[in-house]
Order: sequence, then structure tokens, then C-alpha cells
Amino acid sequence: MREAANLANLDEEPYYLPVGDEVEIFQAAYESRLPVLLKGPTGCGKTRFVEHMVWRLYRQGPVSDVAVPLITLSCNEDLTATDMVGRFLLQGDSTVWQDGPLTQAVRSGAICYLDEIVEARKDTTVLIHSLTDHRRLLPIDKTGELLPAHPDFLLVMSYNPGYQSVLKDLKPSTRQRFVSLAFDYPDPEREAVIIAHESGVDDPTAERLAVIGEKVRNLKEHGFEEGVSTRLLIYTGALIRRDISPRRAADIAIVNAVSDDPTVQDAIGDIIDAVLP
Amino acid sequence: MIELAEVEERLALFAEGIAGRYLHIKPSSEFTSRRLRLGVEESALTRDTLYLPERLATVDPAAYRVLALQQLCHREFGTFRFNIEEARARVAALGPMQVPEVGVRLSDFQLLFQQFSRPDLASRLLQIAERARVDTLMMGHYPGIRRHFTAYCTLLLNGSPPVPVDGLAPLLHALDCHLLGAPRLLLEDLDQTARLGRMLENLLHIQQSPRDIYQSVAACCDLYKACEDLPQDLTGDVVLPLEEELDSPANWLQREGRLDDWREDLAALEEQMLAVDMLEGDEALAGESENLQDGQVRPEDINLQTLKNQRDTLARRIDMERSAIQDAVGRPLLDARSFRYDEWDYLHRRYLPHWCRLYEERLEGEQNPDLQTLQAVMRRHGPSVQKAFEQIRPQGYQRVHRVADGDELDFNALIAARQDVRAGQTPDERVYSRRDRVHRDVCAAFLVDLSASTDDPIDPPPPVEWDDEEFPNLREPAARDADDPRAPLTPAEDDPPRRRIIDLQRESMLVMSSALEKLGDSYGIYGFSGYGRDCVEFYVAKEPSEAFTTRTLAAIASMKPKRSTRMGPAIRHAVRKLIQSGNAMKVLLILSDGFPQDTDYGPERGEHEYGVQDTARALQEAHDKGVETFCVTVDRSGNDYLKRMCPRSRYTIIEEIEDLPEALSMVYQTLTR
Repeated sequence: MREAANLANLDEEPYYLPVGDEVEIFQAAYESRLPVLLKGPTGCGKTRFVEHMVWRLYRQGPVSDVAVPLITLSCNEDLTATDMVGRFLLQGDSTVWQDGPLTQAVRSGAICYLDEIVEARKDTTVLIHSLTDHRRLLPIDKTGELLPAHPDFLLVMSYNPGYQSVLKDLKPSTRQRFVSLAFDYPDPEREAVIIAHESGVDDPTAERLAVIGEKVRNLKEHGFEEGVSTRLLIYTGALIRRDISPRRAADIAIVNAVSDDPTVQDAIGDIIDAVLP
Repeated sequence: MIELAEVEERLALFAEGIAGRYLHIKPSSEFTSRRLRLGVEESALTRDTLYLPERLATVDPAAYRVLALQQLCHREFGTFRFNIEEARARVAALGPMQVPEVGVRLSDFQLLFQQFSRPDLASRLLQIAERARVDTLMMGHYPGIRRHFTAYCTLLLNGSPPVPVDGLAPLLHALDCHLLGAPRLLLEDLDQTARLGRMLENLLHIQQSPRDIYQSVAACCDLYKACEDLPQDLTGDVVLPLEEELDSPANWLQREGRLDDWREDLAALEEQMLAVDMLEGDEALAGESENLQDGQVRPEDINLQTLKNQRDTLARRIDMERSAIQDAVGRPLLDARSFRYDEWDYLHRRYLPHWCRLYEERLEGEQNPDLQTLQAVMRRHGPSVQKAFEQIRPQGYQRVHRVADGDELDFNALIAARQDVRAGQTPDERVYSRRDRVHRDVCAAFLVDLSASTDDPIDPPPPVEWDDEEFPNLREPAARDADDPRAPLTPAEDDPPRRRIIDLQRESMLVMSSALEKLGDSYGIYGFSGYGRDCVEFYVAKEPSEAFTTRTLAAIASMKPKRSTRMGPAIRHAVRKLIQSGNAMKVLLILSDGFPQDTDYGPERGEHEYGVQDTARALQEAHDKGVETFCVTVDRSGNDYLKRMCPRSRYTIIEEIEDLPEALSMVYQTLTR
């Protein structure tokens, strides 16, 4: 299958450090089965947050009998409605129907997480619309089936308002079916805690990396809209933990990752050079 | 030797990262002010610009980072948040001194220095103490800069080593040397005044536990006491500035910060007044039964009047201070970014490196622009351009057959595969079909000449009513009434306003925009003008990443004739933007009204060849970088110089907007094919 569907069992608690009231909000939204839209830049913890919430709800909380509670679909511009819903496969002399990841989630009562939804093709919005209003139905036109969603099913989408072009924005009719939670990079103190936890570096190093994150994000209009993500800072920490020198680690994990413009790369290198001991 | 121009771009990014906002980087020699002077060796920070020495006697570019970071750290660590009232409250040594009323004329720093019998000396000592504090904090927050800082200091120290301390000037020099890292023992050995030890102790105290600016002020008082009796050396190398020369950009930054405080005070006063006002309203209702005694004035009444007076005084003071600041350091270009570009000097057959400074600014629409005229133009000419463009618009999706993976089974492929299986052959497994999006990966930039000459009227169009005569609306003849959007733009008047070149350019931009919007190509709209090589103006009406909104419309409407036409740097900047867009196909369309010219575009003002040659070179550079260029001009004599600037296939001359739809769409079709 072409789509990158990711099925997670989530037996262990995924680490997540709340920044505000997002945990309570998500919980309340789930209890009312309100679809959730997560907005925020890449690598700021949206996916991790969803994993953490699924673990809370399905492994700690009210819902427990779903084997695969989270189905993640990373959307791309080749992702069609067929990829999400399912298709006929050839088997010997006959064709058999194979459920797509969205259909699986709707049937089993899992949370379906559509990552970077605006990347998907426009025909997918039809599916989203019928699943996210009071009907909670998934029409499968190839089989003629009208599949009612499992009571535990919830649709969660993420999107990144900064990085997608205006031509690829979410339509209001789609956006208004979701409650929106805005994410951003955490403040340097919290980010340092996250970096230290995830990468295993000592606190002073984590703190330096968080300062790098803060300073490099000041440059985000220069050819890279995103700034350096918390994820990249964690990668840097992980490399440092494996005895790569901090400057070299930052060079490969940050400088080369965020920009291809040589001048911008040099400037980021200068900032890193000043901030690291 | 290293030149600022070589590292400027990188340094600007570095400073923006550290400071969190953009700062222009300029050599100190470009510092212009009627009130202030800045030595070419000095560095300084103003609200929008970081001034640094034009060249440094080292090969290490990190030296510039040290200087820039030092300046930025003064802001980061609160040098300019200095407040004289707080200083009095916190620095015991200042307490008994006489403090005048806080005046508008002076910065809080100057008020502080006036407390001393020798303000010049106090200023110099505070500067030393503050450097000790800020440098130490800088090293703590940016530990990576330490090695560069040490290297640069060693360089400076080697340039002017410590000398025997026998007077005030060598004493101050010794303190400077201490800040540059000269060993304490060495300095004390040179001391003949028996004061240096105590003064160094003061600085070391700061360096061991740096706090805020008031710590430096306290240290300044101590340092002052230690050396105030030393006479000013008249023969020494170091001459302290006269009192009237004490002014520095730091004073003005402090005053700007103070202005923000005052604005907050003003807002607080107004809030207070509102609260009192409301309270009085309530009490007026309640007061009917309250029975105030005759002649008794409610305290709130006085209060409100006092507040009003206070507010008015403060508002006046803010106004005066703001104009004083603008007078001293100029109008800050906070929203602009500056870039430097080379220029081609054809007389000497060489590039003049970093010759032109270009300011990029957003073109903001006016508050209530009159957009109806422009919208009418769009309605009038939009359809024909769009029609032409639709021919180059590809289908959105195409079905691709016989692929290994897709959303539908491809029945022809399936049947063929079954046949193969029956025939005992290996079947082709690619039995799906898929819908693929067809991309047009084009980015266009429109560069509109906004020189003063675009204010000139153009010859009125021939009286042929293009829309009515050539394209009669046969389907809805009834629609040709007063509400007809295709009716002539300007209603018949006694003296109709003459159409100017700028109108034609603006309208062309609109028509193109609406057509390109339908086509789905990304495009940017820019204007350019300027005056002189250090002030090329580049206006952004729309970036390719933005959608076309009423704001864009307003921005286009606000395109106005401005100054000169230095085309080279504007082209180079537009090309830079196109390359950054990352699109595969890049197109630059230049709309101009005449030959390139500027006050210093060439050895003589009236001479155009230099500008033409530089523009030709800029166009050639664009071509070399994979950008397709095309010039559209409304100048009938354009043939003379355009053929020297670009090949015949790369320019066209139009006379009226009626020619434009056809001309532009043909150009665009050819270029983006």
C-alpha cells in the first residue's frame, strides 16, 4: 500500500510534557466525540501528544477493548480517498475488498490521526465531512456500503498553517467541523526539560540546546518557514549523548536540516557557535 | 583586513537570531545625524541599525560577531533601561546629590553625569564599568563567543599595550586594558598613581557577580571618587570629549526606551481618568440622596482635573521627545530590510562590490483606498487576458494507466494479464490506474518602475471604443447601460483627468494578477525606485506565497511615482527572490517607462549608458541563473536603448493598456511554455 499508515498498540506511556490545558481539552473533546484539529509547526509535539492522549484514553481511561487504538495516516499529495477507505485487490481469479486505514479505525473504534491533512488530495474532504458531523458515517462508494462509525471512533487531524502555501489551505467548511488546539514550540525552560528527557543529555547541555532553538527560530523567515523543531534539538542531544562533539552534532542535526541557503547556514552556525560552550 | 560588506549578510542574520528582530548592519561611516557623531572605529546600536567599523585589522570574521554581540548584549542586559529615579533610590552614593527635575532635553544618562563635577569623566567611567558588566554577562550567556572575544581583545591589546600610569589618560587606558584581559599584576606594576589597584578591585567585583546597570552606576561612583582629583591631561594621547560632545547613540536609545515608559504612563493615566469618570457617573446618581454640604467639592472633581493636566503635559512631552529623537537619529526603518548588491561599471569593465544598498519595504495600502476604479479595470480587461491564459492552463489531473499501484483497477491491463496467465506467460502486474496531478511549477515576478517620470501623462488613446466596437456584447445587448462594467472608465466630464503612465502600469498589474490567479501560478508584484546608490527602494505589493486579497489590491492602488530608476539592483533583488521561491520555472517581467537613471548611476548625471550597461548586465546575470526575463516599456523611444539591454525577443513596447492583455499574455505564454 502506498500510504504510510502506522498502527500503534501504545502499551507504554509516551512521554509528553503539557504546556497548557491541552490534555484536559482533548479529554473533554473525546468524551463528547468532537473531532480535534491540531495546528502547529513541524516537530513541536503534535503526534506525540496524540499518542499520549490515546494512551491515556485507551490504556488508562474509559476505553480498553480496542487492540490498535491509534491509526496514523501521514498525508501526502498522492494520498487519495481510495487509499484511506480501501480498494479491491486481485486474488486469484477474483477481487477482494481490503479496508483502508480510515475504514479500519471507523469499524474498530480507534482514533484515526491524519497527519498534515492539507497535503492530501481534495477528494478526501468528502470522507472527513460525513465523519465529523452528527452523522458519523463513512460512505464507501466502491462497495456501496454506508458504514456507521464505532462509538469510540474519533477523527484527529493535524496541520501546519505556516508552512503550507495559501493555495493549500484548509477550507472553512472543513476547519469548522473541528475544535482546534494550537501548538507551538515550548518555552526554553520546558523545552530543555523535554530535550533532557528524550535525548538523555545533561541539564546544562539541554538548556544550551533550548537557547539555540529559541535563537534560530528568530530567523524563520529566511528561506525556512519552520525554524528548528524540538525534534531536531532532541536529535542533536541524542548525538551528543553518543559522544559526537556538540558543535558537530548541531551542525548535522540543525544547520543542514533547516536550510539549504549557504549564508543562512553560516549564520545559524555562528549562533550555535556563540551559544554552545 | 576584513571588510564589513563581506560579512554583512551573514552578520545581519546572526544579529537577527540573537536579538529576535531585524537590524540593518551599516558601517559607522554611514552614520548620519545632525546632532551626533560616530567615529569610524566605533560601534553603536540605534533602534533599527547596528553600526560597526567598516573594516577590521584581522582576518577572522568572528571579530565582527564579537562587536555585534557586545552591542546587542547592552540591549539584552538592560543598559538602556536605565532610569535616573531608580538610580537615586538604589545607589547610595547618588542620594545626597542634587537632582534636577526630569527634563525632556536630556537623557537619563546625561542627567546622571550632571551629578558629577566632571560629567565627561563620569561618562567614561560608567562606560568602562558597564563594559565590564555586559562583557561578563555576554560570556555567561554566549559561552561560545569567549574564544573569539579573547582573540579579538589580544589583537587590540597588541595594538595599544598598557603604558606607565602617571595621569588620568593612562589610568583610563589601563582600565580599558584590564577589560581586554591584560594581567592585573602587569597593570599594577605600571601604576604610579596608587589608585589603579582600588579601581581594578571595583571592576573585578562586577566581573565576579554581574547584576544590573545600577551596579555599574554604583561602581562608576566609586571609580570617580578614586580618580576625580587627577587633572585632565592636556598633553596626553587620550583627550576626553567635551561636555557637548558627550552625546552618544546610547543616550538616544535610553530616551527611546523612556518614551515607551511614558507612553505606558499615559495609557495608565487615561485608564485612571476613565475609572474616575465612571465612578463620578455612578456617584451622581447616588449623590442625589447624599446631600453634599454647600461649597464642598468632591475629591474626585479635583482628582479628574489634575489627571487631565497631567495627561496633557505628558502627551506634549511625548510629542516633543519623539520629534527630538527623530531629529537626532532619523526615522527608524523598522519594517524594512536592507541588502547590498554589486554594480557593473562598464567604463572600467569590473564589478563595484557591494555598491548599492537596497531597502525592501512592504507597500501598505492607504486607509480607505478608492478601489472601484481598479476593480472596474479588472472587470473590463480581465476576461480577455484570462481567455488567453486558459489556453496554457493544463488539466488539473490526468489518469495514468498501467501502474503498479492506484485507486482503480485498469481493466485493459487486467484482461491482458489474465490472457497472459491463460497463455502460460508471466503477466504484467501493473494492473492499476491512478489520477496524477499535473503541475505547473512557475513563479513570476513583476517589477514595476515607480520613478517620478511615471507621473507623466500618456497620450490619450485613440477614440476607438475597444470594448464596444470590436467586441459588441451580442448576447445581452440590454446590459450595455450605465451599470455596464465594460463601460469606459472615466465618465465624460468637461476636463477628464489625463491618464498617467503609473495608471497604466497599475492597471496592467491588476489585469495580470487576476488572470494569473485563475491560472494558479505563483507570482509576486514589486515596485522599485530610490535615490542614489545607498538608497534603492524596493516595494513589495505581493509575495508569491501570499494570496491575492483586498490588501494586495490596496497595495497596488498605492503604487505611486516616487524617485529615480536604478534598475540594476532592483533586478538583482527580484532575481534573488525568484531563486528563493524554489520553483522550477522563474520569470521576471519588468514594466518601465524609460531608460534606467539615477543621480549617481554613472560618472555624469545626464549620461545613460552606464545605467543601461548595468541593467544589461543584471539581466544577463538573471539569465545565467536560470531566470527568464522580459521588459515591457511604454516609452516609444525604448527601441534605442532596449536593444542594447536585451535581445529583441526579450522586450516589447506598448502604447496603451488595450495592447497589454495581448502583449503580456503572449509574453507570458512564450516564457512559461
